[in-house]
Amino acid sequence: MAQMWITMGPQHPMTHGLWTLRVKVDGETVVDTDAELGYIHRGVEKIAEARDFTQITPYCDRLCYVSAMTWANSYIYAAEDLLEVEVPERAEYIRLIAAECQRLASHLMWLGAYGPDIGSLTLMTWCMRDREMFLDLLQELGGSRMHYNYPRVGGVKRDMPVGFADRLVAKVKLFEHRIDEYEMMLDESTIWLVRLQGVGYAKAEEMVNAGVSGPNIRAAGVNYDVRWAHPYSVYDQVDWEPAVEKPTSVKGADCYDRYRVRMEEMRQSCRMMLDAIEKIPGGKNTNYANGDEMILAKAPTRAPEGATGFSHYECTRGASQFYIQGGGDGRGKNPYRLSIRSPMFITIPFVAKTMIGYKVADIPAIMGSFDPCIGETDR
Amino acid sequence: MKDNYDLVGFFLSKDGLLRSGIIGVLEGTPLEESASSLSFAVATFAVVNVVFLLLFFSQFAILWIERKAVARMQDRYGATTALRSLWVGENGVTAGEWWNMLPFGLGKPLGAVNKYLNKNFGNRDEKFATVDRVNNRSWMGKTIVPGFFQNVADGMKFLVKEHMVPQRADRLIFEVSPFLIVSSTLLILGMIPLSSGIYATNPDLSILYAIAIFGIAPIGVFFAGWSSNNKYTLIGGIRSAAQLTAYEIPLLLTLLSVAILSGTFNIIDSIHFQHSAGAWNLFLMPLGAVLFLVTMIAEVERVPFDMPEAEAELVEGWWTEYGGMRFGMLFMAEYIRTYAACFLFTHFFLGGWHLPFQGTLAALLGDSLNGTIEFFPGAIMTLVKSWLVFLVVFVWARFSLARIRTDQILEFGWRMLLPLAVLQVVLALVYRLYLFNPDGMSGQNDPVGGAAWDAFGIPSFVPIVTTVFWLAVFFVYLNDEDKSVNQERMFHVHTDKPAGTVSPGKE
Repeated sequence: MAQMWITMGPQHPMTHGLWTLRVKVDGETVVDTDAELGYIHRGVEKIAEARDFTQITPYCDRLCYVSAMTWANSYIYAAEDLLEVEVPERAEYIRLIAAECQRLASHLMWLGAYGPDIGSLTLMTWCMRDREMFLDLLQELGGSRMHYNYPRVGGVKRDMPVGFADRLVAKVKLFEHRIDEYEMMLDESTIWLVRLQGVGYAKAEEMVNAGVSGPNIRAAGVNYDVRWAHPYSVYDQVDWEPAVEKPTSVKGADCYDRYRVRMEEMRQSCRMMLDAIEKIPGGKNTNYANGDEMILAKAPTRAPEGATGFSHYECTRGASQFYIQGGGDGRGKNPYRLSIRSPMFITIPFVAKTMIGYKVADIPAIMGSFDPCIGETDR
Repeated sequence: MKDNYDLVGFFLSKDGLLRSGIIGVLEGTPLEESASSLSFAVATFAVVNVVFLLLFFSQFAILWIERKAVARMQDRYGATTALRSLWVGENGVTAGEWWNMLPFGLGKPLGAVNKYLNKNFGNRDEKFATVDRVNNRSWMGKTIVPGFFQNVADGMKFLVKEHMVPQRADRLIFEVSPFLIVSSTLLILGMIPLSSGIYATNPDLSILYAIAIFGIAPIGVFFAGWSSNNKYTLIGGIRSAAQLTAYEIPLLLTLLSVAILSGTFNIIDSIHFQHSAGAWNLFLMPLGAVLFLVTMIAEVERVPFDMPEAEAELVEGWWTEYGGMRFGMLFMAEYIRTYAACFLFTHFFLGGWHLPFQGTLAALLGDSLNGTIEFFPGAIMTLVKSWLVFLVVFVWARFSLARIRTDQILEFGWRMLLPLAVLQVVLALVYRLYLFNPDGMSGQNDPVGGAAWDAFGIPSFVPIVTTVFWLAVFFVYLNDEDKSVNQERMFHVHTDKPAGTVSPGKE
């Protein structure tokens, strides 16, 4: 059969966002691919040069519309490194809980979107149902359901409301049962297994060389989690362990490995939150006033010229990095330069080449298993 | 057994109201000589239309069943959970209260029942308050059957949409293929009896005819995919052609074994056979029933075999370019095919219009009472069975399974289903030749079922043993599935050290 190029995107069910995957097919087999990115480039890095350090947070929320809290946190750690702020421990705990809530919501969004990719429509609604619980929790913290603008340089915007801890524990415990329910539905279905196993192999060393990070390399057996290797915040004080898959094939990790590692990561997030809510300094049912020194430290607003801030943060899709150079505008109020390292910007072109040799029907299975998010990719 | 509702006899008999009326009117006119055949034509037309309307409008029920069942299965609290929303309002306030609008206080009892349900089972939990408010639940109770006419509304919406043909499409074929698909689909309904006396036509070879008509639509699908001049539709059309070829043959072989077992190619006769012989085909050929369902799901292209319209990679497959009522008709055709598949399963395996264990029941009731069974309308039994088949098999499978890949579908079809179907044909031959006892058959009008499958003096020995055997095979297969490999992969997420023995960052 003659070969032909098929353009999937910019608006296509497979893309999970706004980008184009051009696929060259020979019958049903993929022989070449080409990823085109950049449809929603917003110039966040340039905009940041005209904003002061607090004003940048909402822009970082909008980097990824599925996991806003982790990206805002990621920026905040760089800003705190730049401004040399000591963050109160209670604020760190709250940030940890918020980030893990966000990680659960993001992974649920991934699983929910992955179901229809494979053809399981029920998974979508189940995941949306459970994601709702964690969005409600995040709403209690940040007042919003999508872009929270919650962390501040030196702490968090406001304390946990009274009763938040009980609701968190109840929901997390319910959700731990729900994970079992998902696995009952998926792992015991032969169709789910034959669609995922043996499809989309990616080798660990190739992924590391390309710069892929996060759950995608942990699925291939690389035990690298930023939270574990270079603990920021209070990740070294709570009870958890990174989810790492044992490599099962010399060809690397397949879609099933990547699915398993995210399910395990959700369990670990639950475990982490349950532990953190008990260990939180200042008591879990107390509510400090806004700006109290328990939750928000005093922070300077200007950074001297030449000062730099850097953060290395485990976002839901991989390791994000922020690099800020202070002293912009001559007065130090704005960053001179803000640079963002997005894990997905590196992953998507890599995934596009991973698909070669598989069938057309495997394209959504492979692409979805890497959890693409175009907001952070195009920045 | 024939039931009492003989619609065809009522319309077509010469003494019947319709035909005698027409003959009476034509008396003394130049048409008098041909009055008999003219009245026959009119009566046939009437029968066909009545049966078609019955089948067509009862089809809305399966759309409704799917909506409601899916809303439950998916645990969805959206606008389609209307069964529940009949009595669940905002924070437990009874929704809508449309019954108060009925004249003469007719709705008062309903209101009382609703109030009771609402009080005891209603939603007083604040966690749904936002959901209810957002979905405007208080409007939901205002239809007679919640959500039933949603499908009609959808159809109306399709009617008013623009019909567009892609600029570089093959216009003639593009326009013709939906009609090819829809008309051939509607012709299937012509072969489907609702009961012994309610059917449109009854040719001797109706099984063959129904399956032949089923095989026409794939040609239309392929035409549609090719003529749209779109790469998605092209791949979808070719997938559809490949898949249907792979699944037609096991389907035909399964139906062949039904025909061998029943000794007839006529649908109505095969239903009579099941009653007269004393057991439904389901219990004589469970393997055939499973094969029939699997091939039929592939034939009507529903999940898990909906590769031709896999929306994840092919947008909407071969019907991507269709819009407006053309899309609506294709959609309707898909559901009619599904509905026809449910009917065929009911007729071939579940004894058609007969009540469950009707023959045994009649024997138990005795001669004086078994006539009462005849008053139960067989058409209703047929409909209920078909709806149940749709709910339990088609809807349940669709919303709990994922989609198989094309090559896996083809491999499954050619390498698993085809040998099994051949095995089923051989089994049917053995059953018919060696296990079947023609002396035990009861008459078509005998309410008591036959005893053709008795052996060793035990009633229904053959079906019982067959069913038990295949159930055992099924359970052995379930347990024998290569689970160990999967389980090893399922639980092999590991960390190097047990929890708590090492702290992060210290390695």
